[in-house]
Amino acid sequence: MADEFIKGLAIFSGAGLVWMVLAAWFRTPTFEDEQLFGPDPEDPTLLVEIALAIADVMFWFAIIGALTFWVAIPLGRELYGYWNERADE
Amino acid sequence: MTDDTDQTRTDGSGPNIVPPDDETPTWHERKERSEGLSRVTYEYFERGRLEDQRLRQDSDYIERDVLGFPTWPHETIRNLSIASFFVGIIIALSATLPPHFGDEADPSVTPEIIVPDWYLYPAFGLLQLDPINPELALLGGEKLMSDELYGIAATTVVIGVLFIYPFVNKGSARRPIEEPFWAAVGMGGLMFGFTISVLSIDQIVADRMPGLTAPLIFDLTLLLPLVTAFITYAVLKAMQEGYMYELNRRYYRLRPPR
Repeated sequence: MADEFIKGLAIFSGAGLVWMVLAAWFRTPTFEDEQLFGPDPEDPTLLVEIALAIADVMFWFAIIGALTFWVAIPLGRELYGYWNERADE
Repeated sequence: MTDDTDQTRTDGSGPNIVPPDDETPTWHERKERSEGLSRVTYEYFERGRLEDQRLRQDSDYIERDVLGFPTWPHETIRNLSIASFFVGIIIALSATLPPHFGDEADPSVTPEIIVPDWYLYPAFGLLQLDPINPELALLGGEKLMSDELYGIAATTVVIGVLFIYPFVNKGSARRPIEEPFWAAVGMGGLMFGFTISVLSIDQIVADRMPGLTAPLIFDLTLLLPLVTAFITYAVLKAMQEGYMYELNRRYYRLRPPR
């Protein structure tokens, strides 16, 4: 259980950190308005495009990865145990 | 060669030699436990183990695997790793994120909206309870207290409740499910802290949220805590039976009834 927690936390914090840095570089025109989710820069260079793609991947990896280890896998185990108990009775 | 039997022989055998078993520490272990940091560590472990044993023997509650951890090394290393995790994130973000330079503050212009810092919102909201300051018929429709004094009295009441709370609800810590009433009181208090904060900035909230008006926010301020307390009590009371069942099942699994 603790293993699953630390896996989820590592994914959430690591991927979230990368996403936050890239989004702050390329999707934050000003800190007085929309931050991190601002518009993409106009005519980006190839490197910026790669960075934006990585930022998107990291954003969803952080969310889906954490949900997998914190919700999906424990839920699956609970259900598995529940069905086993049901089968035993 | 006759006194050979009552003297220690050079090969390590003889009457005064105790053969080593699992309980006997090796020389390496003896040295390890008798010097410096390793000795301190060993004594801490041993103290933690003894404390654990004592608690276990005195306990009349469900047996657990571990009742307590020693401060060193468990808690210290755990806290160190958690602290380094957050410090690392702060350093990484402050090193990579661009700095924020806002516009300069203009001291000659008064801002349009003046509100206190967010953590003072509850106290600020308690000063705005004048709609429920009663106009007494006995005094010919006059108010007994001015609205300002009424707000200060309300603050006194809230702080007084917080002060008295530990003297009323005494005893060791309990889970919310074991005391649904006090859990409901706590949840209602939390909700009141939130709604009274919203009340202190009701005009701003009403401007930004369509459908919310200032009078409605005032009504919700007093109603939502009651609703929250009621729901909390109902849910916990409903869960209580199943919880006690689970607890008893675990208890009897650990200690089968005789």
